[in-house]
Amino acid sequence: MSSETVHAIIDDIGALLLFTMILIVAAGQIYRAIYAVAAQSLLIAIAAAVLAASTGNRDLWVIAGLTLGVKAIGLPWGLHVVVQRMNVRREVEPVIPIAATLALAVAIVVMAFQVSASLGPIRQAITGNALPVGIALTLTGVLVMATRRTALTQMVGLFASENGLFFTAMAVTQGMPLIIEIGVILDVILAALVMTIMVLRVRSTVDADIADLDRLRG
Amino acid sequence: MADTLLWVLPLVPIVTALVMLTTRDRRMLSAIDIASSSVLLVLALLLAREVRASGPRAFGVLRVDDLGLVFLLLLVVLTLAVSIYTVGWLRQAVAVGNMQADSVRFYFALVHAFVATMVVTVLADNLGVLWIAMEGTTITSAVLVGYHGHHHGLEAAWKYIIVTTIGISFGLFGTVLIYAAAAASAGAGAMSWSAIMDVAPTLDPGIVRIGFIFVMIGYGTKAGLAPMHLWLPDAHSQAPTPVSALLSGVLIKCALLGIIRFQTIAAAACGPGFPTTVLLVFGLISVVVAAPFILTQHDIKRLLGYHSVEHVGIVALGLGFGGPVGTYGALLHVVNHGVTKALAFFAAGTAIARYNSRDMRVIRGLLGVAPIGATLLMLAALSLAGVPPFSIFVSEVIVLRAGIGDGHWAAVAVFLVMVVVIFAGLLHHAGSMAFGEPTPAAGREREAWSPIVGMVLLAAIMIALGLGIPGSIDGLLRRATEIIVD
Repeated sequence: MSSETVHAIIDDIGALLLFTMILIVAAGQIYRAIYAVAAQSLLIAIAAAVLAASTGNRDLWVIAGLTLGVKAIGLPWGLHVVVQRMNVRREVEPVIPIAATLALAVAIVVMAFQVSASLGPIRQAITGNALPVGIALTLTGVLVMATRRTALTQMVGLFASENGLFFTAMAVTQGMPLIIEIGVILDVILAALVMTIMVLRVRSTVDADIADLDRLRG
Repeated sequence: MADTLLWVLPLVPIVTALVMLTTRDRRMLSAIDIASSSVLLVLALLLAREVRASGPRAFGVLRVDDLGLVFLLLLVVLTLAVSIYTVGWLRQAVAVGNMQADSVRFYFALVHAFVATMVVTVLADNLGVLWIAMEGTTITSAVLVGYHGHHHGLEAAWKYIIVTTIGISFGLFGTVLIYAAAAASAGAGAMSWSAIMDVAPTLDPGIVRIGFIFVMIGYGTKAGLAPMHLWLPDAHSQAPTPVSALLSGVLIKCALLGIIRFQTIAAAACGPGFPTTVLLVFGLISVVVAAPFILTQHDIKRLLGYHSVEHVGIVALGLGFGGPVGTYGALLHVVNHGVTKALAFFAAGTAIARYNSRDMRVIRGLLGVAPIGATLLMLAALSLAGVPPFSIFVSEVIVLRAGIGDGHWAAVAVFLVMVVVIFAGLLHHAGSMAFGEPTPAAGREREAWSPIVGMVLLAAIMIALGLGIPGSIDGLLRRATEIIVD
């Protein structure tokens, strides 16, 4: 593949990633947010495979496989099981209206592109529009975490945020050291595990959502 | 020799954690705990001697220099103090049912896993490994924060893990950006700090600037700098006392080390003015934000938590004033605050156990029922408030002198006002706890020996550092300062 084709593919995937992010922000039901984040991870895995094929960097194949197995299948499936097990009828419970969150998300995307446009030399170091898309995904993920009151939706925001990071990291032309990427994925899995245990534990003792507890103040 | 030490150091707590899972005997566990912490201390001192003799050493992704040593020594000393303190603390906690006797081994194993991640953090040369270890500290310590299992603890643990995980993903983003900037010239080794430092002056300032701001927010969250400090008072107050001491004494300092590593890169790429200005702003915000909460607080451990925000702010101010004086003051303050804050949490923990309450309005007349503990609590409070001749006074004066020398008059004025306000607030709280008639709630049992030994160890270091900085420590801090200021 020529580098222009790769550029174009990465930019297309970037656009699709932003679209999945909008789906996550707009999701009124927790299931939809989980499916959207799974689709997003799948796109990241495809991007890794494209970059692996074009650069001949074998490490990226491993990352593509790990992303597919862990982030596109494993974690969403786990979340799905937890949602069913807890039998949550509660939806995502936004703190501010979803329309307002969407407007903020759009502002974040515009700002991310603005900031990256001001950085000339980074164009050689990171493929295509991976930098602004990555920044936008990371910040929007944080936005989702900040504006949702249920623990599982906050976890979805966290995964989306990490996806943004991965997208930028794999598009660095020199490639990230494989061992670092694996370490990062391992950390994400462990964090997700610990969070899930906490959620289930609070649910079983006080029958409340852990993110909804607010006794500690001042 | 030094190379072997480098990889053995993180291995010691990991092996200890695994060994601990094999036994349920509490005495046995405490013995392993203290033995392992002592071994760690001895190994760290050996490493310090090697570095003094033959300069920085690297082994794979790990590297030790004088800057890392400052934090490593603080870590191992506090770990030993925590191990000693835990003996008596645990006996009491099991007796009143705060800890389950048959699951104590998991607690110990987690504490050592937590220590292991912190050891890797201070020894990491590869900035990716630094990040992985830092996230590892979050995961292990979040479980410890919620260890008691009641919903306050779990609420604090949730807030902690969510806020710091978001924060730290910003840190990774910053790391990736700086790596992208360096990869072109430094090649495959571009993730290691020492390799980036070699090419730092040639990096594109625009990218490094954005990368540093991401890192500052990321590791700043973990360090408890305001306005990203929201998790800190909850986590520090809800964690079991020995864990609070480690969180406040060491963990937030490890995050500061991460910031300092990136500060040196940013200073080389964009000139020293840029990172110091950012640090100065965050430092000032932290000092100002912490003050009102310290004044109005009733929960003693939350008080100490907010107090950590203030002191991390002072360290950031020292780094922000910059120059050899400010940086030296900041590093000295890291050590002083680490030791003093651990002592304060220990003393507060024993007082809470005695009164079965963490409300400072209930803890009265401690001097009457527990004279040694009360004296140590007063010493810690006096030192934290910045009273001479204790160690924190010394480092605060050095930081202040750097500010005046550089002509940061506005920052110095704000700093002074806040220090005076906090001084008054803290002494008021501490005085009313120590003196007066003991409330009926006060337990009158004899003071346990092990917490006292742990506290006296720290108090001795605190007082010694206040009276005069020994030549070896002074030399270490000076060499560490040279790494940062260059």
